Amino acid sequence: MNEAVDIAVEFAGLKVANPVFTASGTCGYADELADFLDVNKLGGFITKSITLKPRKGNPPQRTVETDSGMLNAIGLANIGVEAFIAEKITLIEKLRVPVFVNVAGSTLDEYVTVAEKLAGQKAIAGIELNISCPNVNKGGITFGTDPMQVSEITSAVKKAAGEKILMVKLSPCVTDISITARAAVEAGANALSLVNTFTAMVIDIETGRPALANKTGGLSGPAIKPMAVYLVNKVYNDVAKAANVPIMGLGGIRTASDAMEFIIAGATAVAVGTASFIDPASAVKIAEGIKKYCMRKNKSVKELVGSLQV
Amino acid sequence: MGIMAENTAKANKGVFAVTVTSNRQIGRRFYRLGFDLKSAATEAFANYKAGQFVQMDLSGAALPAAEGIAEEFRDAVSKKTILRRPFSFADFTVKPGKASGEILYCVVGASTVRMTTLRGGDTVSIVGPLGNGFWVPEGKKLAILVSGGIGTGPLIHLAKVLTSNHSGIEPIAFAGAKTKEDLPFEGKLDRIAQDLGFSLGEYARYGIRSQVATDDGSVGFAGLVTDCMAEWIKQNNPNPHETIIYSCGPTAMLARIAKVAAEKNIDCQLSMEEMMACGIGVCQGCAVACRGANPNETIYKLCCKDGPVFESKDLVFSS
Repeated sequence: MNEAVDIAVEFAGLKVANPVFTASGTCGYADELADFLDVNKLGGFITKSITLKPRKGNPPQRTVETDSGMLNAIGLANIGVEAFIAEKITLIEKLRVPVFVNVAGSTLDEYVTVAEKLAGQKAIAGIELNISCPNVNKGGITFGTDPMQVSEITSAVKKAAGEKILMVKLSPCVTDISITARAAVEAGANALSLVNTFTAMVIDIETGRPALANKTGGLSGPAIKPMAVYLVNKVYNDVAKAANVPIMGLGGIRTASDAMEFIIAGATAVAVGTASFIDPASAVKIAEGIKKYCMRKNKSVKELVGSLQV
Repeated sequence: MGIMAENTAKANKGVFAVTVTSNRQIGRRFYRLGFDLKSAATEAFANYKAGQFVQMDLSGAALPAAEGIAEEFRDAVSKKTILRRPFSFADFTVKPGKASGEILYCVVGASTVRMTTLRGGDTVSIVGPLGNGFWVPEGKKLAILVSGGIGTGPLIHLAKVLTSNHSGIEPIAFAGAKTKEDLPFEGKLDRIAQDLGFSLGEYARYGIRSQVATDDGSVGFAGLVTDCMAEWIKQNNPNPHETIIYSCGPTAMLARIAKVAAEKNIDCQLSMEEMMACGIGVCQGCAVACRGANPNETIYKLCCKDGPVFESKDLVFSS
């Protein structure tokens, strides 16, 4: 066992102590988790989605558990970018790890305006462009499934975001994810995160109605992990490796071994989502488990990224 | 409201292991799970309020033998559950360095079927203490506790807190369910069924009078517990300013209680329930419709973080 193995990675120019981030929408704006984990022990943090105006979100029922997973249709409930800057930036400034702000919207202009407002915030390392939310009527996933729109919105937000790192979060609900990935990279994305949730439905057979008020929701949790690993590997091989654009891999990561699958598949970093609902300290435990794995294999995370043997 | 601080005081939450001390079946589908908290958790739970809750991880608990699983749950238990389940305490005692309590639960699905196999000595992971519990506004002399079915748990705990810490308040309890079998109490309900003035043991031990109501009339008042309560209020005509209603149960029942409270101008606190994933305010799943700043606006608050106990005047019930 080599205790000196390096689990630090460089992600789109950021040097992070370990490759584990928290996924958007599963850890609030960092303050909510203070009782459970030391955010500074993470590789980085991705906030809950922010939109231009505050959104109250969808009516209940918003979540339902499924076999090894869950559906959510929160509907981007959030405080809006003005309140975010006024109330949350001071908390984020205190963190020693990089923070990405997840940005969502209904129109191109909304995305651009929010990105412009965030561009001047020193405490923020980057923007995660959410063009893959399945739970809103307008925008969201409709931007993320059409490569022309992916390209248009990525380049517009890239311009608005100034120096900030732009990470584009891809939807798995497409025929070929490499097409949308390529559109994002060619339009200037500095990083890709994948995958967002899979659009899905649960039906209450007693009432004959969908379990969720929104009818459909996004499926997350261990149930989607093998599909997410496959899609990360596909995007790595088809687009990311050649373009030298790092992937933030996510989708059902609950353990360090899950995280290692994503890294071997081609992810430079990983994000922990639904697992944080079960154990809010999951992300830090996963980082510790990655360290143990690397010691056992006597390899750095950097060496393992995309090391899939075929 | 000076007492509000008591309600919103934040102890340090955490993930803790609790040791099961007992797991007694007290009815066809009702159990009481006894537990001890280990020292680290004792501090975090020192200020646990009746009506707060914990998120318990039951995904690793064993299933009963196949023949011990009721047919109605056989589909459900074949699925792999991952999320924790929220429970309030029905009893809780803190002594220096030690805390113990009981959870009253009803077997309703995959996780609670697993819960029945827990035995003394087993450890279970909880996240807590979570949410805001019931609080006591100043000037109250009468507390009306109304529960529906399994909603009784946190009210039994509240009954204990009121009798031990609020000597100026007289509590009275009402418990309702569809049938006699759906009342989560120990003891023989049949014998005392004739007399509306009888006391349930769970409340009598704190010197509190109680009445039961069943929709089918199989025991106690025949009809809704809310009608039983409204009848009592009509007959006894308590001073509304000195009275408070505390309730936990099905949403339709809570909506009726909110209506009675509004009509009588009585303060009322309701413990709400919504499907929860995290329980700590990050997933935003457990939305509860509430009144916004202007009268016609509905906003969503979170059951886990802003509740589960809300003032009834702040809630919006869909008809």
